[in-house]
Amino acid sequence: MRESVEVRPGAPARRALPAHLLHLLATQIELRMLLLIVVVMAVLSRISPYFLTANNLLNVMDQSVIAGMVALGQTLVILIGGIDLSVGSLTGVSAIMLGLAFPKLGVPVAVLICLASGAALGLVNGVIITYGRIAPFVVTLGMMSIGRSMAYVLSGASSIGNIPDSLAALTADSVFGIPLDFLCLIVAYAIAWFFLTFAKGGRTLYAIGSNREAARIAGLSINLWSIAAYVIAGLMSAVAAVFLTSKILSIDPIGGAGEELDSIAAVVIGGASLFGGRGSIIGTLAGVFIMVFIRNGLNLLNVSPYWQGTAIGSIIIAAVLVERLLSSGRGRA
Amino acid sequence: MSLLALADIWKRFGATVALAGAGFTLKAGEVHALVGANGAGKSTLSRVISGQLQPDQGSIVLDGRAVRFAGAREAIRAGIAMVTQETSLAPDLSVLENIMLPRLGMPGRLDWGAMRHEARRLITQLGAEAGIAIGMRVRDLAVGQRQIVEILKALALDSRIIIFDEPSAPLSPHETERLFDIIRNLAATGHGLVFVSHRLEEIFALSDRVTVLREGRVAADGVPTRDLTQGELIRLMVGRELSDIYARAEKRASTSMGPPVLRVSHLSAPPRVRDVSFTVHAGEILGLAGLVGAGRSETLETIFGLRPARSGTIELDGKPFAHVSPRQAIRAGIGLIPEDRRTQGAVPDFSVRENLMLAHLGAHRGAGLAYRLRDAAVRRLLALLGLPEQRLLDANLLTFSGGMQQKVILARWLILSPRLLLLDEPTRGVDIATRSSIYALLRRIAADGVACVVVSSDFEEVIGLADRIVVLSDGVDVTNIPAALVDIEKLGMFAAPRSSAERTHTVLEGLAARHGGMAFWIGIEGGRVFCFDRVGTASAADPGFSGGGFPEIAATRIPEALARRAAGFVTEPGSGLATLLVPVRGRGGHDLGMVGLTLAGPEGAPDGAALARAIAADLETEAAREAA
Repeated sequence: MRESVEVRPGAPARRALPAHLLHLLATQIELRMLLLIVVVMAVLSRISPYFLTANNLLNVMDQSVIAGMVALGQTLVILIGGIDLSVGSLTGVSAIMLGLAFPKLGVPVAVLICLASGAALGLVNGVIITYGRIAPFVVTLGMMSIGRSMAYVLSGASSIGNIPDSLAALTADSVFGIPLDFLCLIVAYAIAWFFLTFAKGGRTLYAIGSNREAARIAGLSINLWSIAAYVIAGLMSAVAAVFLTSKILSIDPIGGAGEELDSIAAVVIGGASLFGGRGSIIGTLAGVFIMVFIRNGLNLLNVSPYWQGTAIGSIIIAAVLVERLLSSGRGRA
Repeated sequence: MSLLALADIWKRFGATVALAGAGFTLKAGEVHALVGANGAGKSTLSRVISGQLQPDQGSIVLDGRAVRFAGAREAIRAGIAMVTQETSLAPDLSVLENIMLPRLGMPGRLDWGAMRHEARRLITQLGAEAGIAIGMRVRDLAVGQRQIVEILKALALDSRIIIFDEPSAPLSPHETERLFDIIRNLAATGHGLVFVSHRLEEIFALSDRVTVLREGRVAADGVPTRDLTQGELIRLMVGRELSDIYARAEKRASTSMGPPVLRVSHLSAPPRVRDVSFTVHAGEILGLAGLVGAGRSETLETIFGLRPARSGTIELDGKPFAHVSPRQAIRAGIGLIPEDRRTQGAVPDFSVRENLMLAHLGAHRGAGLAYRLRDAAVRRLLALLGLPEQRLLDANLLTFSGGMQQKVILARWLILSPRLLLLDEPTRGVDIATRSSIYALLRRIAADGVACVVVSSDFEEVIGLADRIVVLSDGVDVTNIPAALVDIEKLGMFAAPRSSAERTHTVLEGLAARHGGMAFWIGIEGGRVFCFDRVGTASAADPGFSGGGFPEIAATRIPEALARRAAGFVTEPGSGLATLLVPVRGRGGHDLGMVGLTLAGPEGAPDGAALARAIAADLETEAAREAA
């Protein structure tokens, strides 16, 4: 690590190739994630010949969409040093909104209402956290309870069926053999990556998480973007609700339960710091894939589902340990 | 025999060498000053002594036995304690609990009765009854009192060596004096005291010996203080004349100053800023001096829109400027270099390039980044600041020294070509070489027509750097004086908080009430009067100066009295004003100026000699009452 402190003007410092690769691995989280995915895939394909079949890969893509959409919003919130425990409940309540709206207003309007309700509840989170100066954990914990309760109240605690074909098509159709919903996920992540890398708002999110006070003094709109992160998290929960409905062709008030913890896990496995300022959207996507792979692999191996929690939990802790070891050499412990 | 001896101590932090073979010896019963410019390594060395840092190499000998402390706890057990500026007290616990805090962590039942008894004994031993009751919550104590609690905490641990790290920085002159009395008492009872400071006058007033550090090495090893002059000490500290550092030669004559850029009138932003007025011109460096807590940082933050103003006006280029956010301030051409680089300046997860671009991002109106727009400015600035380009831009800011980081934060604002730059402690934690280049840079920026307001706790720095100085005290501007006219002592007296200069103020009020006329507290130097305080309403007895004023003696209404400084009343030949002047001495015997009384005429003037004695007695009584 000492090497990286050296400053040489002009050409980048030359290193032996292995050292250079190690350096890249230590500094580029995306690369590290890619390597991890390759390792996981290699191991799984060795254990189960079924793993690398087209059918199973389609299955994996399918399973990653909902978790991926929620984790995208969670990433933005964690980047600013916050946390959103309400995303699962918001998926539940906005799915119910969708289910109540489509019989009378038609699918397009119902989807808009669904998305708007997710975003609106996210806005409530953001405003209370930012202007009320209450810990995000507390506010979103409250919203988690409220959202789930609203889902039961609005639905009368019963499922809604008869989902129209136009909604079902979202997950049933595919383009060039790739499921439409998976393409939507990739597009969403591409937009998020572009935003976080090249837009003022994206850099502002990083600056807020890294040093809020410095960002404020530099004139960045920290309140606006702090709230925006929660609004987007709410919106993405509602997007997940639409895909969830399309996939299981039924709307249940319990829908989305557990997504809050899965999404946080994906973000953390993807290398983000829960203190904010550090993380990457590509890392999160990789984190989502890794979690889906592990679940899928354990299913293929006929491992009892009760063991899955242990596997996922171990991976979360191991990922954070690795990040801690890597970052301790970079000044910020 | 020496109580403590350190030899050949080395300590590196990453690429920077903080200590390069430093040494230090301490005898029982002495006050040993450890001095050096910012970044010379004195804090590092004192943290090595107190066990907070482990040296890479070197020996520490305590009572003739080699020791190695694994942590502060071991040093404390060995009898070494440190009293810091940023106190390590628990504000919500009582004085007693804080003094006995180390014992709360020990096993067994606590004997509160015995602890109470012990604490009272220590307070008496220290002669620090001064308003400290053991049941008070530390939160409710003044800064000076908190330091006394820290000292008590050290004594409760039977510490024989106590290190004071810049203890007087947040204190008023009176509080400082009381602290010095306590330090002298401790030395007299056989303790070894290490006194870390860069205030020359304090070093000469208090210490027996001086060790000077420069760039991590010993420049003077335990020299008796009385063998040194101030000039010699400065040369030892900086290795050259002080005036070089401040680039005084480039200082502009005030006549060539530009139009006013910022005019602040009666600004108030409670609780710290109460009534502040000043003007800064283009091309001028204005120093904002005062003690910690006087409202200097808060004044800057209010101008910059970080805190709301309650009343008063801010004008920028003659137009009212009522903004609500830092962004509007930035777009109006104002920049703020905040006080604490770590918590308010540096963005640790950003590269140097993005740190440089942070204020640009705040000022930029589009949705993109537009970093390219500033490429030329970045190259120009990096060259000006002597920073290497290329590799530096992609590196992490935190891998560089404090001085380098500060330059980057400064450059962050210069990229925007501001017209007004507000700098809060711009050289804190910056090594001497970088300090001097920052001063040169500020001079250069000012020469280009930028108005600068510099807040600094270092009076020496303010005087060296600024063209003009506004002193704040308790949130009020008390004087506005050209830097060339003032010295460190005068600034200190102007800066004394009204609350702690109260003892003098009470005496003045008594004088004015009993005798009519006007009573004042002044300093006289170089043919000028510096008026720190004035009381009285009888305009016929106006001495020709008021609080914060600094006229030449000839321009006052009592030149005769001021020139002669005789023992009794002096009557002015022309006006017939009768003036009595009484010198004020601190308990350490040092000069605290003069208290005076001017009457409209010599008729009915009381006996001068008797009144002088009464005034001196009054000052003593007030001091005693304050102590009680």
